[in-house]
Amino acid sequence: MKSYRLQLMVCAGTGCVSNHSFEIKDALEKEIAKHKLQTEAEVVTTGCNGFCGAGPLVVVQPDGIFYQMLKVSDIPLLVEEHLLKGRPVKKLMYVPPKEEAPIPKMSNIPFFSDQTLVALRNRGMIDPENINDYIARGGYKALAKVLMSMTPDEVLQEIKKSGLRGRGGGGFPTGIKWETCKRIQSDTKYVICNADEGDPGAFMDRSIIEGDPHSVIEGMMIGAYAIQNICEGYIYVRMEYPLAIKRFNIAIEQAKEYGLLGEKIFDTDFNFDIKVRRGAGAFVCGESTALMTSIEGNPGEPRAKYIHTVEKGLWDKPTCLNNVETWTNVPPIILKGAEWFSSIGTGDVTHDAWGGSKGTKVFSLAGKVNNTGLVEVPMGITLRDIIFNIGGGIRDGKKFKAVQTGGPSGGFIPENLINLPVDYEELTKVGSMMGSGGMVVMDEDNCMVDMAKYFLKFTQEESCGKCIPCREGTKRMLDILENITSGKGKEEDLNLLEELSNVIVESSLCALGGSAPNPVLTTLKYFREEYEAHVKDKKCPARVCKQLLTYTIDEKQCVEVGHGCGVCKKNCPDNAIIGEIKKAHHIDQNKCGKCGVCYDVCRFNAIRVE
Amino acid sequence: MITVNIDGKDIQVAEETTIVKAAESAGIWIPTMCYSELFEPYGICRLCSVEIIRGKRTRIVTACNYPLRENGLKIRTNSPVIQEIRKVLIELMLSRWPNVPVVKNMAASLGVIEPKFVSLERDEAEDACILCGMCVNICRDVVKANILGFANRGIKREVVLPYEKMNSECIVCGACAYVCPTGHIKIKSLDYERGAVADWYLGPKTAINIPTLQAVPRVPKIDEESCIKTQTGGCGICSTYCEPEAINYEDKDEEVEIEVGQILLATGFQLIDLKQMPQYGYGRLDNVYSSLEFEHMLNSTGPTGGLVKCKDGSEPRAVGIIHCIGSRDENYHKYCSRVCCMYALKFAHLVKDRTKAEVYQFYIDMRAFGKGYEEFYKRLLDEGVNMIRGKVAEIAEVHSGSDGKPYLLVKCEDTLIGKFREIALDMVILCPAIEPQFDAADVKKIFSISQSPDKFFLERHPKLDPISTMTDGVFIAGCAQGPKDIPDSVAQASAAAARMLSLISLGEVALDPVKAEVVDEYCSGCRICNNLCPYGAISFVDDKKISNINEMLCKGCGTCVAACPASAITGKGFTDMQILSEIEGLLSI
Repeated sequence: MKSYRLQLMVCAGTGCVSNHSFEIKDALEKEIAKHKLQTEAEVVTTGCNGFCGAGPLVVVQPDGIFYQMLKVSDIPLLVEEHLLKGRPVKKLMYVPPKEEAPIPKMSNIPFFSDQTLVALRNRGMIDPENINDYIARGGYKALAKVLMSMTPDEVLQEIKKSGLRGRGGGGFPTGIKWETCKRIQSDTKYVICNADEGDPGAFMDRSIIEGDPHSVIEGMMIGAYAIQNICEGYIYVRMEYPLAIKRFNIAIEQAKEYGLLGEKIFDTDFNFDIKVRRGAGAFVCGESTALMTSIEGNPGEPRAKYIHTVEKGLWDKPTCLNNVETWTNVPPIILKGAEWFSSIGTGDVTHDAWGGSKGTKVFSLAGKVNNTGLVEVPMGITLRDIIFNIGGGIRDGKKFKAVQTGGPSGGFIPENLINLPVDYEELTKVGSMMGSGGMVVMDEDNCMVDMAKYFLKFTQEESCGKCIPCREGTKRMLDILENITSGKGKEEDLNLLEELSNVIVESSLCALGGSAPNPVLTTLKYFREEYEAHVKDKKCPARVCKQLLTYTIDEKQCVEVGHGCGVCKKNCPDNAIIGEIKKAHHIDQNKCGKCGVCYDVCRFNAIRVE
Repeated sequence: MITVNIDGKDIQVAEETTIVKAAESAGIWIPTMCYSELFEPYGICRLCSVEIIRGKRTRIVTACNYPLRENGLKIRTNSPVIQEIRKVLIELMLSRWPNVPVVKNMAASLGVIEPKFVSLERDEAEDACILCGMCVNICRDVVKANILGFANRGIKREVVLPYEKMNSECIVCGACAYVCPTGHIKIKSLDYERGAVADWYLGPKTAINIPTLQAVPRVPKIDEESCIKTQTGGCGICSTYCEPEAINYEDKDEEVEIEVGQILLATGFQLIDLKQMPQYGYGRLDNVYSSLEFEHMLNSTGPTGGLVKCKDGSEPRAVGIIHCIGSRDENYHKYCSRVCCMYALKFAHLVKDRTKAEVYQFYIDMRAFGKGYEEFYKRLLDEGVNMIRGKVAEIAEVHSGSDGKPYLLVKCEDTLIGKFREIALDMVILCPAIEPQFDAADVKKIFSISQSPDKFFLERHPKLDPISTMTDGVFIAGCAQGPKDIPDSVAQASAAAARMLSLISLGEVALDPVKAEVVDEYCSGCRICNNLCPYGAISFVDDKKISNINEMLCKGCGTCVAACPASAITGKGFTDMQILSEIEGLLSI
């Protein structure tokens, strides 16, 4: 194998690719060839690095020099200075907010240094389309270990001891799930990897598959070995992830070629095969029973889970379903041991599998933070650490207001709970949930009613419509919220919302309906005064709900500073602005459509919004 | 068996029993909207939500599909929490479907009169679809035709046929319409296809039916063509409900061998296929019926209860009865079918009796030959039936009636006045020719009898022996021998029966002494004689590999004797040697 002096790891995660990282790669190769450095420097495309807000990224290894926000025009300088002359280019490096000195090394950047990588252990280090890269980083070693030296029961005990819990949202102890599935008598059983990541803005599963597909396959194989009698594995990927599907297929092909998938793996009696199934992009298909009906070829609708899927799942056979991140956590647990894994995180799982949250969790940090992207942190880290240390604080120095966790069906956590340790139980206690790991940060400019409406609109549209509370109930809730945000809300609406929410939570068929009201319930709990401002005073304190705003013109400012320029009058689509050039203008409130154009076009800050 | 506690009552149930069933056995009512015992519980109306208490933990589950598996589970079916859930759920439904009776009634029984929600999807229809899924489930789980399904997500969900079109995979069993609690599903009659209308109008109405009230034996039978079980393998509901377990889907027609001495062939007739005469429009035009269909309509147990009605349900203004369709016709059958004149007169009489319609008879010759027949004909003439002597050329449908109602235009030649006429009618009854059964030739072969040129079975003698055939022990009666009416058929059958009884009472058969016989040693087993014998008397004996003559059947005709290449067959008493000796004796005189 050829070795190089320098390796340039170009991030080819979806975020960077959409920021033209492949053009960066071409430019790099061209420049390297120009300077005849082909034998010394290699360009590698890797999976997502996580720091998507700073893309496109290039990390120069082995030193780990981190370049961000690159443009094609920066490349000649980078190659000449760094590769040829050995002088890293400071102006292309990351500068933390409010500081001036750039941080050259990736490992010193707070975004990375505060993370603990387990699921994302190979991120930015390997070429996901090359199995050799994965093997070189210890891949398939855990599989070899279980097949050669462990009994299925030992594997099971190891996973149970580790305290690993489902990373897809429910947080069900993985070991118990495997054990139950193993206990059910059947000649045919299935394992499924749920890669139907549907939460808007969440992309941890995508990034794991796109960056490290073999780790998922290895995890599934270890699971299949532990459960026994597994005839097949399925990976259910949403169709909107074409790159993930492609990389899974490549990985499966390569694993088969190496004899790591198929019959008599490692010359043992263990046979295993995996098929990739594409989902058609329904959010509800992330729910386990809906996912299974979808694999069976029926419309993706959930069914009652009183008889669990580990007993009667896919094609009515015992089925063990875990999500991408859960599967990918399995190989390190086998290699490093349950003690190592359970040393990370909170609580104690030796006696009660539900007693703690162990290991790490990947979050996709989005919204009004400085550093957006994927972060993997140990369980029990505080929200403050994630948002202010890793996330670099709130953008533009605004005030933090709330963070919404757990995707569209999670809840909002207000500022006074910022020191909340992030684990399954704590998040549930405050009315939110771990979910698959979405984390949307909101600042003072966000209207909480509007945000609740936004998330509810998503779940309402994605409801499959099978059961009445979810289908009818969420629509009625949305109607009420529409009324509130457009000034037609009544005071009793708030109680009605609460009543309806509680019934939907209690009586829905699946978790989609069961958690859909969470954004509303938590905002009602923590930000009730904002709702009241909407319904009583018909005001939106954050000035987001346009129907509740009143636009006026500060006549003094308009005449004295703007000299009655008339730009607002020209642009007003409703002809609601009256006034002559060089004189004060004012807005006819009866005509004003509250579009906000005047506010946007006024260069003299003369439009007042209340 | 396990013991659970529902609303304070201890109840013993089998494991895996659902809460709904357990509660039912204890006489506790749990409201349901999407539940039916016919298919797996769907669990979407959520009205059957109940609380289950396990130790300190309380959980809300749906009673319809929660299987009871553990002893000591406590269930509360009507706690305040549950009441609140049910109220809100029915309010959600009532706000969307305020006028659907099942929703209104359920709301009333849960104490809700006005919902506190305003639905933007409000549907005022009384028969609106409430998305309970009963139709989809019964089609999938019970009928197994899998035609109905849901389309769209969330609030836009609706029940659809594939591609929202009429689908040929739909077996029109009507199960969906049957279970639909609101009457939203309606079965359309396929009126563009004649066959389907005929089935609807004149055939059995259900897959299990007693064909007619006069049927013997009068027991229900399964109609394989409309039975869901035979079509899709689904359903099977009748067998679950039949207490004496009398329904057996595996029961099939079978062949039974019975040894008998004599056989009476009374295989009857069939009616000519009217569709081969497109000029009469049968199968194409509405209200053109065959006489058999009309007879069915006239029957008081028939589809119209004996009333004469057009397809649109109205009473016809004028009815035409056309004789000799396929009989006395060079193109089809030259013979007269004999029965049509009289039943056509009967039809005319009944139409006159039951409606105010004008009746026209189109005939070639009126053949009222039986006892009292001529008198009946005369009476009909007095009743004012229009008799038109002449053959009908064509029947056409005309849409330009003054009241917009289409009518049938019959074009014919009236030979008595020597004019071409066109007569407007609302209904036409065709009198199809009687013809031999389609498989008469096969039956002929089996019994070694003959057919006359008109393909009816040939009697031994047209005047002196019209009941037996050339094969001993095989008799014929009824229309198998030739067209005839009921009295003639009864007379002939009685005669045949008497002839057979006389043989039975004799106990023995007198045979002609002249018979052929096979000399076993000479027979090479070539089987040439087997097919030549006009009486079917020769059969091949498999174990001896030689032919054998049944003396009972042999008429001594000598065909086989002449044909046998090995001269192994001789006539008893007529051997070559005897005949040569006789010739020799004659010549020596």
